Amino acid sequence: MNNKILTRRGLGRIAVIASAAGLARPALAQAPREIKIGLVTPLSGAWAKSGELSRMGMEMAVDEVNRDGGIKSLGGARLRLVTGDCGDSPEKAKSAAQRLLSQEPDIVGGAGAYVSSFTLAVTEVTERAGVPWFTLSYADAITNRGFRYVYQTSPTAQTQAEEGLPTLVELAEKTTGRKPTRLGIVMDNTASPVNFTRGLRDGGAQKLGMQIVVDETFTPPLADAGPVMQRVRSARPDILLLLPTAVPDIKLTLEKLNEIGLGKGRLPAINNGGPMGSPDLLRVVGKDMLEGVMFITATWGNKNTQALNDAFRERTGEAWITQDSLSNYAHVMILRDALEAAASTDRDKVNTAIRAMDSTTGAATLFPGGRVKFDERGRREGAALVIAQWQNGVPVSIFPADSAVAQPIWPRR
Amino acid sequence: MQDRSILRPLGIFLLLALAWLGCGFVVQDAYWRLMLTLVPIWALLGVAWNIFSGYSGLVSFGHAAFFGLGAYVVALGQARLGLTPWLGIPLGALIGGLAGAAIGYPTFRLRGNYFALAMLAYPLMLVSLFSWMGFQEVSVPLHRERPGWYMQFADGRVYIAIALALLAIGFIASLLVERSRFGLSLLAIKQNELAAEAAGIDTVRWKLRAMVLSGALAAAAGGLYAVVLLVVTPNSVFGLVVSAQAMILALFGGAGTVWGPLIGAAVLVPLGETLQAELGHLLPGIQGVIYGVAVITVILAAPEGLYWKLRDMRRPKVPAAAPVTPAPATMSPDAPCPPVGEPILEVTGLSKSYGGVGAVSDVSFTVRQGEILGIIGPNGAGKTTLFNLLNGLVQPSAGEVRFEGRNLAGLRPNRICRLGISRTFQVVRAFPRMSVRENVVVGAFVAQSTDEAATRAAEAALADVGMAHRAHATADTLTNRELRLMELARALASGPRMILLDEPLAGLGSTDTDALMDVVRTLPARGITVVIIEHSMPAMLSLVGRLVVLDNGRLLADGPPHEVVRQPAVVEAYLGRKWAKADAEG
Repeated sequence: MNNKILTRRGLGRIAVIASAAGLARPALAQAPREIKIGLVTPLSGAWAKSGELSRMGMEMAVDEVNRDGGIKSLGGARLRLVTGDCGDSPEKAKSAAQRLLSQEPDIVGGAGAYVSSFTLAVTEVTERAGVPWFTLSYADAITNRGFRYVYQTSPTAQTQAEEGLPTLVELAEKTTGRKPTRLGIVMDNTASPVNFTRGLRDGGAQKLGMQIVVDETFTPPLADAGPVMQRVRSARPDILLLLPTAVPDIKLTLEKLNEIGLGKGRLPAINNGGPMGSPDLLRVVGKDMLEGVMFITATWGNKNTQALNDAFRERTGEAWITQDSLSNYAHVMILRDALEAAASTDRDKVNTAIRAMDSTTGAATLFPGGRVKFDERGRREGAALVIAQWQNGVPVSIFPADSAVAQPIWPRR
Repeated sequence: MQDRSILRPLGIFLLLALAWLGCGFVVQDAYWRLMLTLVPIWALLGVAWNIFSGYSGLVSFGHAAFFGLGAYVVALGQARLGLTPWLGIPLGALIGGLAGAAIGYPTFRLRGNYFALAMLAYPLMLVSLFSWMGFQEVSVPLHRERPGWYMQFADGRVYIAIALALLAIGFIASLLVERSRFGLSLLAIKQNELAAEAAGIDTVRWKLRAMVLSGALAAAAGGLYAVVLLVVTPNSVFGLVVSAQAMILALFGGAGTVWGPLIGAAVLVPLGETLQAELGHLLPGIQGVIYGVAVITVILAAPEGLYWKLRDMRRPKVPAAAPVTPAPATMSPDAPCPPVGEPILEVTGLSKSYGGVGAVSDVSFTVRQGEILGIIGPNGAGKTTLFNLLNGLVQPSAGEVRFEGRNLAGLRPNRICRLGISRTFQVVRAFPRMSVRENVVVGAFVAQSTDEAATRAAEAALADVGMAHRAHATADTLTNRELRLMELARALASGPRMILLDEPLAGLGSTDTDALMDVVRTLPARGITVVIIEHSMPAMLSLVGRLVVLDNGRLLADGPPHEVVRQPAVVEAYLGRKWAKADAEG
């Protein structure tokens, strides 16, 4: 044990010397040739795939920035991505962030950590170190804490809950010309669907002129979706919020939905969250079962991302670009713009540049709402929802119409 | 009990804690300071687990329940009510303690693996409950004003100090338990719950106390964990991993000693974290495999944990040779026998049946003050069942037992022991890893209110049976005769007025038999009435004043020994009808 402490001590000293050397570097010296940006995300454990996709998106952005000549206001400085693994718990997430910042004290900004509770833990660290940090996580708490260096590019969970159903009703009306009135809910009791539906039950649905005709909540895993989906069939909703979060439960409910003849868009079924559009889900659940299923998400491939999508497929072999890759690609691009504007690697200057940003071009076109401007809490203004639908084995965006790449499949009775 | 002072280990602990805190000053970087904080937090959880499971031997798979409650009390208290963790952690500990009582009371009805599995259910239940209540993600708000009041320090060293302070409380609690009748009672329960109960230890109450203390400490650890991580989710605090962590740290370091969890946490927590950080992104999941292999390897090499292995390596296992000449028993076998007095135990119509089989049927007899009563009968006659009925291990189907006029119905063995009936077992029920003196002290707790008095009573009892010279040997090194004498001393240490001896001579040679009988013979002179079961007829005839004969659960005869053994029914029961006839004719 003593040896271990000595090594730690040694490591600490090296870190001190290194950072001291960094500070002591004369101001006259040439601009840094390498700028580090961090990614802290689950690279092992249950969420590893999403973390991997995030990394792919960021790596691609970093390569593109470097290929195009780096940060020009900093003499063509190149970006370099450094990563930390959140594993499967908030404790590991916090340790990973702390460790990354200790090992790479000159990180100018970063992104992560996918799972809300991990993001909460990671940003506790990055905020105290004053590192500008971007996240696609939804939890309102992330930007409710009075933090000054955290930026949330997705609509928060509460916004999604408030906007989700009106958005759907709008889509239904536009597509069919009729206003849906009967709402069904089938969900598990995990954080995301619970938050998403809370407002609907407390009068939210009624306000939209909708009546909840079937409302089923289960604790995952679901042993048999039969009884639940039979109740859906007899209640005959116009729209079904189908909100299981675990892949096996998604599979079971969709199989049952098809079995009772309501699949393939005959009963519009909507889930919530980017994972509903992952290529992995296609492999597990199958093209036929997913056909017509919609999901609400914070970013999805749209008209503006066609070229990006092709480049991503070419580069990674993934079937299409997902929310994780796309958002984090955009995060790097926002950081690049901030670095260009700040012409400095000082974190506070970069942070000021991000706060001052108001753009509708470049990275902004990748997000719904089409704008990169953050409010005082660090939330992206105008962050809106995208609805995508599985059509012929590919999830395509169908809403909002101006950037949608396909028409919705919706029953016109 | 020879090493009662807590000052020396406490001093060592404080020195180590100071050195640990010193590391916090040496390392400048926040990451290592976080590690230096997490290790004592997990160590505290391990210490909490050890106080219950390490000492009592009842494995708990459910300590995440307490840890999580503490974490949620602190996180929710602060997020919803603005409660500072300075009060939240003690409040969490209080709730953890209450949860310990609420969980322990029903669960102690189960034993062994069933207990362990039932414990597993509580945190799983709480995961669902807290999810259902909408606490999937509780984040502790940032306080830029008065950060100290909300335990939000920019300097990581403060957290290290707080974690070490909490660990010190846990350490002291654990030491006090380990070095008092609390810990010894738990150890006795661990090694032989039945014997502990029969020796007068209220096993349920001690287990409950241990669970309450353990729950409170685990909750305190959880509370500080919430303060450090600032995010609480059901799975991160109630998850299986948390319960397993508590157990692994203690087992790895060595269960049943306060140092075990500390060693476990100091080795495994940094190891796990380093593996996660260094290998996690290269080969996802490999860190878990390496961690698992490391734990398995150590457990194989040191099954009882690192602490015990290191201790065994430092001190040779072979005990120092015992003095060759045993000290003679201090009681003279020739002491005058007092006259037989008033009835002390009255058994009326006592029956016990298992299904249709009557193990004891309608047995009535009286034991008088100061006599030595022998109970004989062929194998399966119901003698041991009778003893079990007398000392409360088994409840009668019918009939009653009165001791000094008091009905014993429904009393648990430890209560009956308190009333003044102690017993020994047919197969010696020793506490093998405890010293002879500790074995006997356990018996003395009933009668003595202080640990010092109990130790003195135990030493007196050991001297009475001539075992004073072996007081420091561990019980598993004793000969059969020494074990019998030790068990007798344990029964005597409770200061009984009546003693039940179940085949105390079984497996002894003739010289050993004489030594033991000499001790038994002196008991009436000390005001102890003796009831003895024994097969050795010569021994019985020379020892007892009266014989009761059982056969097939029924009372066959009751009277002076030489008359009883001549009754035809008795001879028939022992030797068969033919011999009875021959005996009658001859």
